[in-house]
Amino acid sequence: MKTVVSKNQTYLFRQLPNPIAVVNANGEVVLVSDQWLDFFDMVWDNTIGASINAIFSNIHPEVTSYVSKCMDHPGNYSFTSQNPHSKDTLIKFLVKPWYDTNENPTGTIIEARYQTRQIQMEEKLESFDALLHGLSTITNVGIWEYNFQNQKLYWSKMTKKIHEVGADFEPEIETAIGFYKQGYSQNTIAMLVHNALENKTPFKECLQIITQKGKERWVIAAGQPYFKNGEAIRLVGTIQDVTDEIETENKIKDSAQLLQTLMDNLPLNIYVKDKDSRKILVNKSECDYLGAADPEELIGHSDFDLYDKHIAQISRDEDVEVMKTLTPMLGRETVNIRKDGSTTTFLTSKIPLLNTYGEANGIIGISMDITEMKNKENELHDLINVTAIQNKKLINFAHIVSHNLRSHTSNFTMLLKFLVEEKDENEKSRIIKMLTEASNNLTDTLDDLNQVVEINANVNIEKEEVNIKQLIDRVATNLWAFLRKNKAVLDYETLNDKASVNAVPAYLDSILMNLFTNAVKYKHPDRDPKIQITFSKNKNVSMISVKDNGLGIDLDKHENKLFGMYKTFHHHKDARGIGLYISKNQIEAMGGKIFVESKVGHGSTFNIHLYERE
Amino acid sequence: MSENEKIFIIDDDEIIIFGMRKLLAEVIDTKYIASFENGELALDSIQSKLKNGEEIPEVIFLDINMPIMDGWQFLQALCELDIEKRIRINIITSSVDPADYEKWLYFQKRTNHYLDFRTKPVLKIIPEDISFASKAS
Repeated sequence: MKTVVSKNQTYLFRQLPNPIAVVNANGEVVLVSDQWLDFFDMVWDNTIGASINAIFSNIHPEVTSYVSKCMDHPGNYSFTSQNPHSKDTLIKFLVKPWYDTNENPTGTIIEARYQTRQIQMEEKLESFDALLHGLSTITNVGIWEYNFQNQKLYWSKMTKKIHEVGADFEPEIETAIGFYKQGYSQNTIAMLVHNALENKTPFKECLQIITQKGKERWVIAAGQPYFKNGEAIRLVGTIQDVTDEIETENKIKDSAQLLQTLMDNLPLNIYVKDKDSRKILVNKSECDYLGAADPEELIGHSDFDLYDKHIAQISRDEDVEVMKTLTPMLGRETVNIRKDGSTTTFLTSKIPLLNTYGEANGIIGISMDITEMKNKENELHDLINVTAIQNKKLINFAHIVSHNLRSHTSNFTMLLKFLVEEKDENEKSRIIKMLTEASNNLTDTLDDLNQVVEINANVNIEKEEVNIKQLIDRVATNLWAFLRKNKAVLDYETLNDKASVNAVPAYLDSILMNLFTNAVKYKHPDRDPKIQITFSKNKNVSMISVKDNGLGIDLDKHENKLFGMYKTFHHHKDARGIGLYISKNQIEAMGGKIFVESKVGHGSTFNIHLYERE
Repeated sequence: MSENEKIFIIDDDEIIIFGMRKLLAEVIDTKYIASFENGELALDSIQSKLKNGEEIPEVIFLDINMPIMDGWQFLQALCELDIEKRIRINIITSSVDPADYEKWLYFQKRTNHYLDFRTKPVLKIIPEDISFASKAS
């Protein structure tokens, strides 16, 4: 279609103030403004009717392609192209479709204008600005800039948001510094700004501000000064709201502090060990226990460095077991021996320390010192044992009493029954004689029992230092006639003149008298009795040994009855079975023990152990 | 010692020996009775009877608390002897110690002999006490 343009219209068009050209559907120039001819240095006659491609193929080849693009896809297009005459300027082309009265695109309108680099830069800047704003919103970082020359302070949107001021707020350097919390924060920021200005020092510091609404906030304020010819021109910086982070950090610090305080003040030894049982954390109790002034002295050390080797191995085995099975060891009684040899009893729990994958990386140990409790418990055990022994002794004694009295009374009963039924006078007097005998026996028995009761009832017997040699001298004097008659020899010459023992003198006297008498009474028929007394003392045990060369006792048969009441082991008219029973009671009343060694036909040795403690 | 000793009394208390003999005399001829003051003497007698092929006693009255060899030691020794004959052993004691009663139960399970347990005083002998012996007489 051939476009017809009237002369009048042409005239008007030529006077348009901008460089504009109209191109028809065939890409031929239909109209151009005079500005266009000037702009491109063209002549009307050569231009009108010429193809756009022919005009621009050399200088702005892009134009042809945009024109055809606009014909194929009607729309507004713009592009810039280098001005061949000036390096500093660009030509910006705008290409838009040209419609007829039926709104059908019949060609294109091209407009050209100069564009300087500055304008282009401004456009770039605008897009950077938008980018910066976007970034600042995402990262919560506000931007500010202080211009030293005009003393103007610029705050970005985010900076204003952080300070909780309105969008129209106009900050000044003094008010900006005034937002910082009085004291440390305000002093610091003032100094930093001053230093940046004077010493060209950039800064970055975590400080507190009070917002317009009165809220306390933690911010990281950073600044970078810019200089021109050695003079500060502006200070560019950021401000970042880190309140949440700082608060979280403080909370962690607080809970760590709480945990440390708790751990250090618990009366328990707490320690954390790594896979190789090296300590990685210890509390104050553990430090005190191991005599360390500082936890650092223990960190990195294993039990092998701190304890006796055997104990360390036990502890290590426990650690390994807990880590292997992932099963806590709870409330186990353990014994620790420190390098100095001191022993402590602990109630120990060991709990596996798991990493995020559920594997054991070490153990947490908690130990309670129960040494004192343990000692008390042992004391209590001892006491119970003593009580149990006493009780057993008492029951045993009750049986002895019952048995002995019963055997006499039953004899009375029997003899009295016979007496009542007996007719024969001779037999009657025989029974009466037996009754008298039974009565005497009962009296003897009662005397014996009384003696035993007396020994055992005398709880607070007074012990004193007894000189052994003097004591034996006394006993020997008392037995002089008896010993002489039996040609018995008492050998105690080896005893030290000063040897002494803590005992009840009367008991010791009676015990030795009894042992000497027995030694002679049960002498071997083939030899004269010889009794050897020796004495030794070590630490807190005194041992008196009485050795004879008599008959000896078959211990396999009689050992458990030897010290029993009314037990005799030899055919002897004077054997009553009371002597050793009384002696044993006396020795036990003094807190001692008696042991016997014997060989039939060779003799016996009685060893008396007396304990010095109390 | 004669072959006729069918009843043994073993007790260290001569009053008991006297009493037992007197009570037994009411039911059996005293010529059948032998008495010993401890277990060892009685055991010696039994061993010599076995050796000589003589009859061993049918009934034994046995005291527990005796010197040299007590009643339990005697029982132990008796159990170890090779005796086919079943002897009635009447344990006579004044002990009320439960331990003695338990020892009786212990021996009862371990011996073929008949074991009885009585506490003193014994005031009468009933036929069962010498049941084996009376059959023999």
